[in-house]
Amino acid sequence: MTKETPTAIKADQMFINFGPQHPSTHGVLRIALTVEGEVVIKGDPDVGFLHRGMEKLFEARTYSQGLILTDRLDYISATHNNLGYCLAVEKLAGIQAPLRAQYIRVLASELNRIASHLVFFGTFAVDMGAFTPFLYAFREREMIMDLFEMLCGGRLLHSYVRVGGVSADLPAGWTEKCREFLKFFKPMLKDYDTLLSGNPIFRSRTGGVGVISADRAVSWGLSGPVLRASGVNYDVRKADPYCVYAKMNFTVPLGKNGDCFDRYYCRMLEMGQSVEIAFQCLDALAGAELTPGEVMAKGVSKMLKAPAGQAYAHMEASRGDLGFFAVSDGGLNPYRMHVRGPSFINVAILQEILVGCKIADVVAILGSLDIVLGEVDR
Amino acid sequence: MKNYIDFAADAFWNTLKGLWVTLKVLFLPAITVQYPTEKIVPYPRFRGMLAYDAEACIVCGMCVRACPSKCIALAKAAPAPAPVPVEGQPAAPAAKPKIAWYTLDYGRCNFCGLCEESCPTKPKKALWHSLDYEAVFSTRAEMVRSWKRGDDLWGTARNTAEGQLVPVTDQIHIQSVPVRK
Repeated sequence: MTKETPTAIKADQMFINFGPQHPSTHGVLRIALTVEGEVVIKGDPDVGFLHRGMEKLFEARTYSQGLILTDRLDYISATHNNLGYCLAVEKLAGIQAPLRAQYIRVLASELNRIASHLVFFGTFAVDMGAFTPFLYAFREREMIMDLFEMLCGGRLLHSYVRVGGVSADLPAGWTEKCREFLKFFKPMLKDYDTLLSGNPIFRSRTGGVGVISADRAVSWGLSGPVLRASGVNYDVRKADPYCVYAKMNFTVPLGKNGDCFDRYYCRMLEMGQSVEIAFQCLDALAGAELTPGEVMAKGVSKMLKAPAGQAYAHMEASRGDLGFFAVSDGGLNPYRMHVRGPSFINVAILQEILVGCKIADVVAILGSLDIVLGEVDR
Repeated sequence: MKNYIDFAADAFWNTLKGLWVTLKVLFLPAITVQYPTEKIVPYPRFRGMLAYDAEACIVCGMCVRACPSKCIALAKAAPAPAPVPVEGQPAAPAAKPKIAWYTLDYGRCNFCGLCEESCPTKPKKALWHSLDYEAVFSTRAEMVRSWKRGDDLWGTARNTAEGQLVPVTDQIHIQSVPVRK
């Protein structure tokens, strides 16, 4: 918690509470800003307004019930949270998901990555004063949500990936619908570039703002597109492949300067890569070697008892390196479940990069980090 | 000065290019659904309001144990007295256990579907997610649905004015017959 006293403010300075009810904080984040004129002297992110005690709640629930909580961490990319949790519990209990389930997992998480980056694209544009891209982003996101509704019944909170596999196989007609969407979506990325990325007003608003150098990004423990925009080539999908990412052919887009525009554009390029991975998954799922209907490991009971021990599994969520650390004492519930939320670690660097920037750029910097407060506060 | 004019011209030209993108969409049909008059029927796997069949339920309590937010409660009815065995005929099979009451608190429900998955009743489940998404509650007491034998699938809720349990009449809008799995 930050502590600020009125005496710490000099006569020509001003103290501003940015949030927690400010619309551009994308949730309930408070930034305690000290400004001198328009220049920020000090900015402290103050988190905890959405704290629900998730890590403690895991301890009172069985492994299958705990999965429902993970949806509520990063609620914009729920499948990534489900997958991270399941990877940790599967490692703990020694379960191997069937190959078909692993392809479906990768496919679902790439679709969710597109949906999550579209939310970023839309809201970041609104933060910068461009309203039109928001409508385009949410039109496409709605299609992905329809796909998820068809797949698992949930639009936002999927609970699709389960311990030992996925909850159900692909429904009839889903693959065609998914292909249709991906074919529609791929040329849309060019439209987005015309609408926003290529616009000189937008570029001068975001270029050179909130620069994070590569070594600074590493020393703050940043991950995801925020880290890659600084030119550090680290992606869990490549560095520590899980599921079937080792078989996928894709590149990791990197930025150069580490400013707001690079962070934005990294995500735009990542969406294109996600489309490629999704196509490869669909091709593999259509292949003959994967038996339809075999999407759950055998012998995984609803009342799962993991042997005593501990396991850590991490994966590339749309906001960065999401890790789950599970400790079991051999009972029905986890003894301890720790979540390494990428948003929580990414938001910490605000106190360093906000210093010296203009107050109007605070919104740009915060928006480009793309945090979700459900995951920051847990 | 020249830089400034160049920038302004560049910005203007790129704004026109952006407007061309929006102009292309202008002649496409609208994708907006005018909600109260038009309604989208969700896909079969959709997890909407829960429907419960009191006659089919075998009172095993699996849904109570599966629920992560502990929003389901139930009680078993007193078993019917066993029929007196008749000489020369095989004994009648024991009657299936029946429900006395069943309550579900929508104020805590996650709509996760674990209760439906755990329901062992065959051939049709006794508790399942319908496709209905129009859940409106004006008081907290209304959020608690309760069922007794003979109630319909949507159960009864407490009417706060008189404190009586009354059938939920305004629940079914999306479809008159809920999809059963």
